[in-house]
Amino acid sequence: MRFSFFSLFYKSPFIKLKDHADKVKECAWMFKRAVECYVQKDCEEFDKLTEDVAMLESQADWLKRNLRNHLPRGLLMPVDKFMLLDCLREQDHVLDNVEKALYWLSFKPEGEIPEELIGDFLHLVDAVIPAIEKLPDMAEQAIVYFQSSTEENRDKLKSIIRDIHQAEKETDHLEHELKKQAFAVLKDPVDIFHVVRVVEIIANIADDAQNASDRMRTMIAR
Amino acid sequence: MSADTIILAAATLIGLYMAANIGANDLANAMGTSVGSRALTLKQAVVISIVANLLGAILAGGHVTNTIRKGMINPELLAGSPEHLMMGMFAALLAAGIWVHLATVFGLPVSTTHSIVGAVVGFGMISVGVGAISWGKVITIAISWVISPLAGAIIAGAIYYLIRNKILRSETPEKMAMQWSPYLIGGVLVVIVLSFIFKGLKNLHLDLGLGQAIVIAVPCAGAGGLLGRLWLRHLLHRDLKREDQEAAPLQSFFAHLQVMTACYVAFAHGANDVANAVGPLAAIFSVVKTGSVEMQVEVPVWMLAVGGIAVGGGLFAFGSRVMETIGGKITEVTPVRGFCAEFGAATTILVCSRLGLPVSTTHVLVGAVVGVGFMRGMGFLDMRLLRNIGSSWVITLPFTMVLAMALYKLLTLFFL
Repeated sequence: MRFSFFSLFYKSPFIKLKDHADKVKECAWMFKRAVECYVQKDCEEFDKLTEDVAMLESQADWLKRNLRNHLPRGLLMPVDKFMLLDCLREQDHVLDNVEKALYWLSFKPEGEIPEELIGDFLHLVDAVIPAIEKLPDMAEQAIVYFQSSTEENRDKLKSIIRDIHQAEKETDHLEHELKKQAFAVLKDPVDIFHVVRVVEIIANIADDAQNASDRMRTMIAR
Repeated sequence: MSADTIILAAATLIGLYMAANIGANDLANAMGTSVGSRALTLKQAVVISIVANLLGAILAGGHVTNTIRKGMINPELLAGSPEHLMMGMFAALLAAGIWVHLATVFGLPVSTTHSIVGAVVGFGMISVGVGAISWGKVITIAISWVISPLAGAIIAGAIYYLIRNKILRSETPEKMAMQWSPYLIGGVLVVIVLSFIFKGLKNLHLDLGLGQAIVIAVPCAGAGGLLGRLWLRHLLHRDLKREDQEAAPLQSFFAHLQVMTACYVAFAHGANDVANAVGPLAAIFSVVKTGSVEMQVEVPVWMLAVGGIAVGGGLFAFGSRVMETIGGKITEVTPVRGFCAEFGAATTILVCSRLGLPVSTTHVLVGAVVGVGFMRGMGFLDMRLLRNIGSSWVITLPFTMVLAMALYKLLTLFFL
């Protein structure tokens, strides 16, 4: 039985945003393991991990659709609905790009990353992870902030957003370095193209996380 | 067993049925925000509302009431046929009870006062004619559909706006809460004391003017506010010492304030709304006893007490299940929001009834919740439901009118 007076209070959609972010975070670790496996050469696990990421991606997709389909027109929200959906979309792009990066790696299973680049390459992946890992924290803090609307909780949320920006800045720097090295070290244009493409996609992951955090910043703007 | 005893027993049963439905619908709504914000546990809410409601009914309930609730029709028109008045009251009680029951099953918060008034109007129209109804009074009820939620929304929204900007958004919410606590607690006390003076304690025949009442209320509030400040300091110290910082000290402060307003709402409910079930019952008793139609009837204390208990029983039997499901579900009602909605509703009821505007507790409370929501304070509100709730308010009058007419026809057919 429903009780209209209390059904007036709609469950915070940020809870679903957090569920989605949790899936994204889960992927981050699998992505890291997959990349480490890839550069080690003759690794059996890579295909399995790629499949797992694809599976998580489809689960996250379901969560995304579920959030979108349950934001009715008549809902009175403290934030702009489209900003929330934008934030969700950017968060979802993180996953898309993780999946894409793994696919691009798998296109050249024999080519691998040249020895000289492996260090920086792993470094880049490590730099992307914190940006992804902060997403659930951000959604969680948004739930808390929109419940309490205190200045303190707003500051905490802003500081998480700053952390994501910081991580993105680092990946930007590493991306440039890697591309430069790729041109210096590699001779075969196909190899260069492959490395540059993979590096760009991985760097995009951090961009997506940053975009999601920018949307969040807009939602709490005064 | 004489015919009179059977009539009285039947009337009491129907009165109890109405009272239990009032508890399940009205009182459950009034206490729900406190349970939702976890300011009160379910058990506490049930106990507090039963006790406060009973006290309200006995101490402040109308011991003398118009024979016909809210004076919708002149009882003198029925002087020649007291048995018709009796049957009419039967039909009205039953019709109102059935409507409130239905509304509760569909989960809609409706005004019990409007239900009984609609039923009385229906019976009046069929027994003494359309002309006998004071339609002006019916129109004021229709006006209340607009005024109650609007006034509730504006006042509760303004209270939330103040608390948010002065306390929540300040750099040091705890310190600001300390600074503002005397005014908040004082404000709550002023509203409660003034309500008691104007409405609650009319049995004492104090007959105080607004000025005199304020002279009494303000020092009470001042003293209460200062005491409250000391108590808040104790509360903050205790909570800051605690290991887990999750239990935000501010929330527990507002939760305590909310308990005060919740008690008051339950008390006011007992004072005003128990009479919706007991008033018609008293009219039936009076007809049986005196065999004539009086302008006003005495409501014996035992009847108010039984009514109060039945209302509490209704809340316990049905409302507790409802509140249990909400208690676990809602995360969107925090103590701050719940306090703003409840305090806003209490203030609105005081101000509006002082201005002579007809308001209904249920309508004001729903309006207050939405008002806090519009200040971007309530988190997420499903406004589609408002339409359903609003239509149920409008349907109340015609539905109970028609049902009371039908029941009255049936009863007179069989018994007169």
